[in-house]
Amino acid sequence: MDIIVCLKQVPDLQQIRIKRETREPVLEGAPFVFGAFEKNALEAAVRLKEKHGGKVIALALGTPKLKENILEALAMGADEAVLLTEPAFAGGGAVGTANALAAAIRKIGKFDLILMGEGSADNYSGQIIARVAELLDLPQITYVRELQMTNNRIHATRDLEDVLEIVEADLPVVVSATSELNTPRLPPLTAILRASKKPIAIWSPSDLSLAKEQVGASVAAVKTLSNLAPEQERKQILFEGDVDKAADELVKALQKEGAV
Amino acid sequence: MSDKVDVVVIGAGLAGLAAAYHLADAGIETIVVERGDFPGSKNVTGGRLYLHPVRPFFPSDFWNDAPFERAVVKEKLTVLADRASASLEFSSDKFRDEPRHSFTVLRAKFDQWLADQASAKGALIISKNKVDDLIYDGGRVVGVKATDSELLCDCVVVADGALSFLAEKAKMRAARAPRDYAVGVKEIIELPARTIEDRFGVGAGEGAAQLFFGAITAGMLGGGFLYTNRESISLGMVVSIEALAHHEPHIETPELMETLKARAEIAPLIDGGNLVEYSAHVIPEGGIRALPQLVGDGILLAGDAAGLGLNMGITVRGMDFALASGALAARAIKDALSHPERNAVESKEGAQSQDSPLPAASLAAYTQSLRDCFVLKDLQTFAAMPNVLDNARMYTKYPEAIVNILEKMFWIGREPKDKLSATVLREAVKGFGNLDAVRDVVGMLRV
Repeated sequence: MDIIVCLKQVPDLQQIRIKRETREPVLEGAPFVFGAFEKNALEAAVRLKEKHGGKVIALALGTPKLKENILEALAMGADEAVLLTEPAFAGGGAVGTANALAAAIRKIGKFDLILMGEGSADNYSGQIIARVAELLDLPQITYVRELQMTNNRIHATRDLEDVLEIVEADLPVVVSATSELNTPRLPPLTAILRASKKPIAIWSPSDLSLAKEQVGASVAAVKTLSNLAPEQERKQILFEGDVDKAADELVKALQKEGAV
Repeated sequence: MSDKVDVVVIGAGLAGLAAAYHLADAGIETIVVERGDFPGSKNVTGGRLYLHPVRPFFPSDFWNDAPFERAVVKEKLTVLADRASASLEFSSDKFRDEPRHSFTVLRAKFDQWLADQASAKGALIISKNKVDDLIYDGGRVVGVKATDSELLCDCVVVADGALSFLAEKAKMRAARAPRDYAVGVKEIIELPARTIEDRFGVGAGEGAAQLFFGAITAGMLGGGFLYTNRESISLGMVVSIEALAHHEPHIETPELMETLKARAEIAPLIDGGNLVEYSAHVIPEGGIRALPQLVGDGILLAGDAAGLGLNMGITVRGMDFALASGALAARAIKDALSHPERNAVESKEGAQSQDSPLPAASLAAYTQSLRDCFVLKDLQTFAAMPNVLDNARMYTKYPEAIVNILEKMFWIGREPKDKLSATVLREAVKGFGNLDAVRDVVGMLRV
């Protein structure tokens, strides 16, 4: 079975800090990574391939740096990659991204299963699966924590917080993964080396027969007006002098706040 | 079948990345293995990079797009006594001449840029992976061992930093002692660009560097440093690990750091700033005495792993040595790989010899090239520096003597003042007119 896994390149959230004066996130210096849910999706795809044969295609959208990032996906077990790195794709929000992914999936043509994360690591709008499924006219199974395939049918357990729903579907189908689905493998050095020799295709909007109006900032339905960290009030009380006395005062102050 | 590449570089610091850049540029299949999350994530500098020494090792336009912080145009040296200090400030238009003399850098940013340059040439940089050991075949290094995998190669460039356990495992050097290292601690304090330019009296994009000696290290070998970045200040200190271990009463570097920050000479410079990063790192300070064996069969050491750091008293260098040694390692490997003798042997022995590591003799040009250029020449010239600097009088008595002279000169009290010359002479004799001081001056003349 052939599986397409959609991956979004995001800045490593652990490396982003907040500028105190403006409360803006500082993205400079933060390296790009794939979101955790997307790695669950990729791991699930690779496990299905290992069991049932076929191939895994990693389809990713992001900056030209993707050429390096994608090695991780290829090392984890994807057989080939399709990258959408043209600046024209950028800033399209859920609408533009879904248009681009659906068009790329159509161009890939042959597939039995499409896997993606339940939401992206940065915006977590969770819209892509529904939009892509709709554009491709495919059934969708979201928030999947268990996934098996028997007799060409997908059996999935959906995590709906208070209930678990077990569903079945014929292929092809679009599935989104939660973090409970699996523990993504850490590819060894040699796998990364071999990954660097796997085929990578880079497609532009025109390769996908997409017009300018279908991707990029002009189609974004949601406009971000501001993106600021919540305001944090610090008490900024310093207890000085004799350590024992200062410690007592600190404990008293904490008790007064109800913190201890 | 085992995987094999031409060269494995261990560590994506300046030495490793410089080597990878040049190796890949020569068409040599190169893999850099970095244990941090990304190149630069674990690397620390004071810091400032002196560019002139390394320019000959890179294309002339190489540095044009480098993410430097500020071009240093002002140098300040401050000697601190307990309650007073004396500073010498030096600025020169020569520092403004193009190409620039030195820049302040932040490694998290700078190393990622350098990694991009190496990647663009075709080197494969793999982060989040640690090389645990080397693979040997009859005493020769033939590859590296990482988690769940082994990778063979013709040559390993060990550039895994100051502690370099791999160099030790490969028996390229003996186990190191505390006296071979200093510890550096640094805070990055964010301030608006304009505030930095106003406080240090520099123009837009220009920066200052300041070094501190004296009371702040409580008699221990070391000093403080301050570098202005674009929108932050790097403030820190370097102290000998051995001195710290033997200091009575016991003192921790963070305490020294707090004392430094509270000094009247420094507090106003960082006032209102936002502490965004705290880091600490070991620094090789063994000098030429602690130099390891640099070359073995199938293996080379570069950068801090090779102990290429130098405390010259008024400047601490390491990054320029790292870049140059990486470039020279690449050159030696390239020459060794393309040596007609090697190729003759390979064709005679057939495919088998494809796995043969580069013999130490074929890499010996590396050690020689380090001797021929500034790297080992400077280490040699300043060979006596560690001894001269390791002297408590340098950090306690002499700073006091210097500020005493100046205090007597500048202080106007009720009493009539002596002649200036008499004051200076009397205080100078008091501070420096003894056998120890004469001996120390003679010692200093050696460097």
